[in-house]
Order: sequence, then structure tokens, then C-alpha cells
Amino acid sequence: MSFFLNQVIIGIQLGSQYVMVALGLTLIFGILDISHFAHGHLYMIGAYLLYMVMVLGGVNYWLALFICMAALALVGMLVERAVYRPLRGQPQINTFIAAIGLILMLETLVRGIQPKALSVPKPIDKTLSFGGISMEVQRLIVIIGAILLITALQLFIKRTRLGTAIEAVAQDREGASLVGISVNRISALTFAVATALAAAAAVFMAPLAFISPEMGGVLILKAFVIVVIGGLGSIKGAIAGGYILGLLEALAIAYVSSAYKDVFAFAVLIVILAVRPTGLFRGRD
Amino acid sequence: MLELNDVHSSIGKHEILGGVSLRIEEGELVCLLGANGAGKSTLFKTIAGLIRPWRGEISFEGEVISRKSPDRIVRRGISLCPEGRKLFPRLSVRKNLMMGAYTRYRDKKEVAETLREVYDLFPILEERSEQDAGTLSGGEQQMLAIGRALMCRPRLLLLDEPSLGLAPLVVKKIMETIEDINRRGVTVFLSEQNAGMALAISVRGYVLENGRMVLEGKASELAGNEEVKKAYIGA
Ligand SMILES: Nc1ncnc2c1ncn2[C@@H]1O[C@H](COP(=O)(O)OP(=O)(O)O)[C@@H](O)[C@H]1O
Ligand SMILES: [Mg+2]
Repeated sequence: MSFFLNQVIIGIQLGSQYVMVALGLTLIFGILDISHFAHGHLYMIGAYLLYMVMVLGGVNYWLALFICMAALALVGMLVERAVYRPLRGQPQINTFIAAIGLILMLETLVRGIQPKALSVPKPIDKTLSFGGISMEVQRLIVIIGAILLITALQLFIKRTRLGTAIEAVAQDREGASLVGISVNRISALTFAVATALAAAAAVFMAPLAFISPEMGGVLILKAFVIVVIGGLGSIKGAIAGGYILGLLEALAIAYVSSAYKDVFAFAVLIVILAVRPTGLFRGRD
Repeated sequence: MLELNDVHSSIGKHEILGGVSLRIEEGELVCLLGANGAGKSTLFKTIAGLIRPWRGEISFEGEVISRKSPDRIVRRGISLCPEGRKLFPRLSVRKNLMMGAYTRYRDKKEVAETLREVYDLFPILEERSEQDAGTLSGGEQQMLAIGRALMCRPRLLLLDEPSLGLAPLVVKKIMETIEDINRRGVTVFLSEQNAGMALAISVRGYVLENGRMVLEGKASELAGNEEVKKAYIGA
């Protein structure tokens, strides 16, 4: 029983990471209709920035979290402005190629500077245990951090003028222009929020695993699976889909085989889409 | 107040407006008649900044606006209630209206006043304020679209076929409200295919055909014109 509960906790923690990455993707998809495949690589940049700021720069972990989120928010806006905005209105394939180009560029750049995998120390290197369950504090940080950020994002979107403008652009772009919303500004804002979330996920996860130039690759594929399962563009769907995938994956690792853990996400995708072709939720709500 | 001078607009490679000129004075209610495909919506979108004219000039209150972005034009005081309404279907009625006041977030009190005025104009919107816009009936959606366009306190309101697809009784109510809005000091430019009601409430009118203005005159003169009668009143 406690083994099962331990796996559930690991599943929630994996799911937390997936949700934080998938939320950004679904927001960007909802508002710009683009599949931002380079999102996982910006996550990777977030992890390396943490290494630079915390390990090389000696900055406190929590301060480093804010620095990484702010810096990656700026990087996200830059990517929107320099890579995606010039391609707006052109065929999807152009955006796709641009994203692949960005992925190759980022990965090559990082590998050129630091080819070895690195590790980041845990800010609180302890393990809690109660009732036969034992849990590293860092896993708790991932879980609670994700809950706080997801709640903050929901409040931002539902309760603020700018957040509602993001929904408005996603629901009717022309209508949004006509009420005076600058679609360019909202696109930049969406990229900033999405990339800051990915950076937070990277900062939370980095102490639990090695960081490497290719760490964003598998993650982005799974995040896309979640976005599709959740209903393209749906926020609720990305949250539900992310936790479901994390749990299933953790249980599959424990009870089936860890060798196939990455295949598992795609099996889930195929099954869910066979049953509900539009995903769990309707998009863009 | 609004002046167009030889405006040419294209969608893709197709030229839709081939040199449109017109003039609207402050306080007027002017209608734009034209068959389906004449270019009415294109003309309104061009004024609102959604389409850039490639030749000609549009000026509003003496300032050239033909190269400004839609959000800047809204801030200058022109609001378009578009054909097809372009509401935010999964936002509540209230949030749709508040988005209409997006450019005015600094004066919260005045926005609340405008919201009150819009609710007084269309009481049904207040009843349905927490409902998603997408769940409203066609007539209610049109009222919401007009209400949303008023939330930015425009000095010039562009209404693109507000009666399209609505039952005659609802059309009558909407036309009365448009007159009311105009009486409160908002200049209105209204496009319609069915000229009867539009001419009845307007002072002047223009007739657009294939992207060119072919007629212009007082509403009463246009209503008596044989060609207009044949083409747009169906008499
Ligand atoms: N997206 C588009 N692409 C190509 N042609 C268009 C497009 N939208 C409208 N048109 C053409 O432009 C002309 C004018 O359209 P429109 O301005 O919508 O007329 P109206 O509002 O008077 O019905 C029509 O001939 C229509 O076929
Ligand atoms: Mg039209």
C-alpha cells in the first residue's frame, strides 16, 4: 500500500511538471494557433540559467527562481517577436520549420558551451516520512509550487483585465482588435507568461534530475500529447491531462516496466482520441 | 467629422473598394445601402483599421487615420459593431461589455456609468449578464454587440448590417435603439441591404455598388428614387 502511495506522489509530481509546461503550450495555441515546439527547449534554457545563477553565481535558490522566471519571460517575448510574429498569416509549415530551427539552434548552442550533463543541488536536501511513505522535500516543492502557480494563472486569466483580454483574443481575434485590444501586445504577454511557467517548472525539477541539452525534447512531445488530450487550447484540459498522464506514467513505471515509460504517453493519447476525438474538454475555455 | 477621399482597398489580390469618397458630419445618422457583396463590410473594416487602404485617405476630426492600427482608431473614438458580431462566445455578457471598455480602464467610475447606460438601453443584457454570450439568441447577441461597441464611448459608431438574420420585431426594436443612440449625440454610420427601415431613420444615405459609390442624397430623396426602390426596397 505504501509503495502504491509513493508512486501516486511521484505521479502527481511528474504531472505537476507536465501541467506547467502544457499550460503554456495550450495558451499559445489558443491565442495564436501555433504549435510552439521550441517550448521544451526554452524549459531547458531555464534549467541552465538556474545552474548559472545558483551554482556559478551563488545566488539563493528562491531568488534564482524569480530571476529565471523573469529572464525567460523576456526570452519568450523575444521568440514571439523575432521568430513567430514575422510568420503570422503564413502557412503552418513555415512556423513549424521556424520552431525546428530554433530547437536546433538552442540545443547546439548549449551543447557547444557545456556538453556534459550537470546537476543542481537541492535547496532543502531532506526526506520526510510518515506512515510508511517517504518523500523528498524537493518533490513537495514541485507539487506545491505547481499548485500555487496554476492558481495564480487561473486568477490572472479569470479576474484581471489583461487576463480576460487573452481569452478574448483566443475566442475572437477580430472582435478583440475591434474593442481596442492590441493583438501583438497580448501575444507577447502570452509568450511571457507561458515561458515563465516553463522556467518555473525547470527550476523546480532541476534538482531532481540531471540537466542536459536534450532534456526538453521528450518533455515537449508529452506536453503536446497533454494539449491534444485536454482539447486543443483548453486550460482545464491541460491541467487534467497533465496530472492524469503523470499518474499513469508513475504507475506504469512501477507495475509494468520503466523501459516503456515514454511510449506510455502516446498509448494513452491513441486510446483517448479513439474514444473522444475532440479531447477531454472543449478547446479555448 | 469623417472624411474618405478616393479610398482603395483590396483583400488579397482582389480590389474590393475602387475609390470611395464620402463625408459624415458630426451628429448625423447616415446609411450605406448596397447589395450583398457590394463592399459595405470592406468599407467599414477599412475605416476601423482592420484593412489598410492602399490608396486614398481617411480622416477623422481632421486627423488622418488611414495608417493607424485598429486599437489606435478605437482610442480616437470610432467603434465598429461588425457583421457577424464577433462576440467572445465563452465569456459572460458582462465580461464582453467590459472588454468593450478595454481602452478606458483608467476611469472605473465612468465605465460603470456607461455599463449602466447600456443596461438601460438593453435591459435583457442585465438579466443575462452572467450568461455566456454564445448562449444568447440572435437578437440578444446583436444587442450585446451594439452594447459592446458603445462601451468605449465612441463619437462615431459604425453598424454593419445590424438587422441581418433577425425577426422583423427585433429589427424594429434595434432600429429604434439606434435612433436613440444617435439622439444622445453619437454619430452613426449604418449599413443595410434592406433600405426601408434604414432610410426611415437616417438623414442621408449613400449607395455602394461593386466597390464604388453610385448615389448619394437625402434619405427622403433616396427613398423616392425609382432605382433605389427597385433594388433595395423591393417595392
Ligand atoms: N476574404 C475575402 N477574400 C476574397 N474576397 C472577399 C473576401 N471577403 C469578401 N470578399 C469579396 O469582397 C466583396 C465585398 O464583400 P463585402 O465587403 O463583405 O460586401 P458586403 O458587406 O457589401 O456584402 C465581395 O465580392 C466578396 O466576394
Ligand atoms: Mg457585409
